[in-house]
Amino acid sequence: MSTQALPASTGPTPPDEAVRATPPKRVEGGVMSKPRGVVVTVIVALLALAWLFPLLWALVNSFREYEYTQANGYLSFGGWTTSNYEEAWSRGNFGLHMKNSLLITVPAVLLTLWLSSMVAFVLARFSFRFNLTMLGVFLAANLLPPQALLIPVFRMFREIPLPLFMSDSGSMLNSFWALILVNTAFQMGFCTFVLSNYMKTLPYEIYESAELDGASVWRQYWQLTMPLVRPALAALATLQVTWIYNEFFWATVLIQQGNKLPVTSALNNLRGQFFTDTNLVAAGSIIVALPVLVVFFALQKQFVSGLTLGSTKG
Amino acid sequence: MSLPRSSAIPRSALTTMAASRRSVLRGLALSGLAVGGASALAACGGDSGGPATGEGATVKFGINEASGSGPAYDRLKAIADAYAEESGTEVALNAVDHNTFQESINTYLQGTPDDVFTWFAGFRMAQFAENGLITDLSDQWPIDGLNDSFKQAATAPDGKQYFVPISYYPWAVFYRKSVFEKNGWAPPETNDDFMALMDDMQGKGVTPFAFGDKDGWPAMGTFDILNMRLNGFDFHMSLMAGEEAWDGDEVKLVFDTWRKLLPYHQADPLGRTWQEAATAMGKGECGMYLLGTFVVDALGENGDDLDFFTFPELDPAIGSDALDAPIDGFCVAAAGQNQDAGKAMAKWLGSAAAADAGNSAADAPFIAANSGASTSTYSDLQKKSAEVVGAAANIAQFMDRDTNADFANTVMIPSIQEFLKNPDDIDGVTASIQEQADSIFG
Repeated sequence: MSTQALPASTGPTPPDEAVRATPPKRVEGGVMSKPRGVVVTVIVALLALAWLFPLLWALVNSFREYEYTQANGYLSFGGWTTSNYEEAWSRGNFGLHMKNSLLITVPAVLLTLWLSSMVAFVLARFSFRFNLTMLGVFLAANLLPPQALLIPVFRMFREIPLPLFMSDSGSMLNSFWALILVNTAFQMGFCTFVLSNYMKTLPYEIYESAELDGASVWRQYWQLTMPLVRPALAALATLQVTWIYNEFFWATVLIQQGNKLPVTSALNNLRGQFFTDTNLVAAGSIIVALPVLVVFFALQKQFVSGLTLGSTKG
Repeated sequence: MSLPRSSAIPRSALTTMAASRRSVLRGLALSGLAVGGASALAACGGDSGGPATGEGATVKFGINEASGSGPAYDRLKAIADAYAEESGTEVALNAVDHNTFQESINTYLQGTPDDVFTWFAGFRMAQFAENGLITDLSDQWPIDGLNDSFKQAATAPDGKQYFVPISYYPWAVFYRKSVFEKNGWAPPETNDDFMALMDDMQGKGVTPFAFGDKDGWPAMGTFDILNMRLNGFDFHMSLMAGEEAWDGDEVKLVFDTWRKLLPYHQADPLGRTWQEAATAMGKGECGMYLLGTFVVDALGENGDDLDFFTFPELDPAIGSDALDAPIDGFCVAAAGQNQDAGKAMAKWLGSAAAADAGNSAADAPFIAANSGASTSTYSDLQKKSAEVVGAAANIAQFMDRDTNADFANTVMIPSIQEFLKNPDDIDGVTASIQEQADSIFG
């Protein structure tokens, strides 16, 4: 049954009938009656405000002096300054930690996309006995909470020696390699799932003609499939950059050297043993959040189209 | 009983090393990583080949203050530099922020720890000693200038020292000198003075005690001091060690006294951080605040207008000669690669020279544990702190250092908060604590 699952699902379906059956007067997406539209707008605006409020609140207070807000309360107005940003940058040592984050995120995202696209290609393009099972395994691994694997991974990494030029601790602990590998492993399941679904939507005939023209499997992957799944790759790259950059848990467990922490964990540098300048932390959080926002807004178009592409086809 | 030196390394670490050697060899056979393999082998074996201390040797020093985070970091950095200069040993500094360091201490010690690291005296140190994660330093003691009470604080239940203290700070009742002067108030000596003072404050529209427990730990200080005043230091310490009943009359008396004192505290403490409470005291809305000397940090001033007194006696039979004064210092990690260098450095860290090097390099000094250390940089508050702690007969380390960390964080924080929410259900709270204490202390 699994041997013919693929060709069957990529076979012709009659999607046109559903479109033709809709009444012609309805515009794309449908319209709402006027009073209803107003109600919806108000509700949506309120919800959006509720979502944005904490972020805007942090943004506003990141520009205020701690002494002023402490003396007058946060509901006051005044005490404006930009010194929080300067201090957060220098005290948090963000230059170094941003670099660390870059050194972890970029290889991890590239490795994840590369490996999972290869897996997805094989799973989507070829039919073999354990095809669906394999996909299921990748998906199941994605559902495993990372916390459950904390101790095994920690112990495993402690036992794996690395030459000193790769890790000055002599083991996987305290090295970027550990974080790159862990992030890749945990993100591969999701990427494989999305990419294989996307690849299944590519018409089978392309591969037949490629085969006829004598393209090897590698060439079918690299020169045929990869260019075609670029939107999905872009969407996944956006997501993966965000997720891996924001990753906090593994970094605090596997890295114990202060100068190797990624920027998310380094945000803690702004907290004192007892005393925490909340306005300073707000400024630091904004700085840390900026790269993600930039990536997200720059690649937003791909992100949205990539997520929906392929969703109408299983 | 004297054990061979190698037994200081925990068994788990020994098997790790053995396994590492095997897997390195396997790795060599498989991938031919001949060049790097040899050095990894050396690194895993815990033998750097060079001298342990002095020229050409390196000691790794893990500190719980992030680079550039303020005076606390400046002090530790200066101490590390001074040691490097004096001994010729290179000191590799690993600076991690305080909270991250503390939260990941277990993985740190079982992973690839530094040779010497900053830590706390008390139960938390003793736990690591029992688990073989830190090295016996009894051959480095006694250290000149560190008296018996510090030696006691550095000693684990097995009778050996595993810790070298450097500084401490007391918990006491802080107040604004100007506010007390203006109202003609004076630090209370007896329980009657104390009650009269609080009533007078309330009469003048001032809340006697600032109070905030949003973070969970500040109220532990109140519990500690009430327990020490009502049941005595010895009972407090055995209670913390899990050897006394939490649902007994003694603990109920503590909570009951606390319940009666609560009307003198700021209301709704669970919605207030200690920083906000400190601000209320600073502004004169509250008369006093029971906290550590770090209360100054939240006021954004140098503390010239601050003074403090130790919590007055509640039971004349017990007196008021015990207080919380957490001690900070250093331990040597058993899994550290250079044990000899670690021990040598730890001993030096207890010296007056180490404390002076730290204090002369930072804006704000700490109160040195070593009696030979210079006090010339101390503020008035610190001079008084040193006096008060020196005069105290018994010193506790604060609840979250005196007892099992799991018990303090997962049982006591929510229990005390539950009590503050609903002060009348003392039987329920104490019964629940006892039930959880049974499962943690076994």
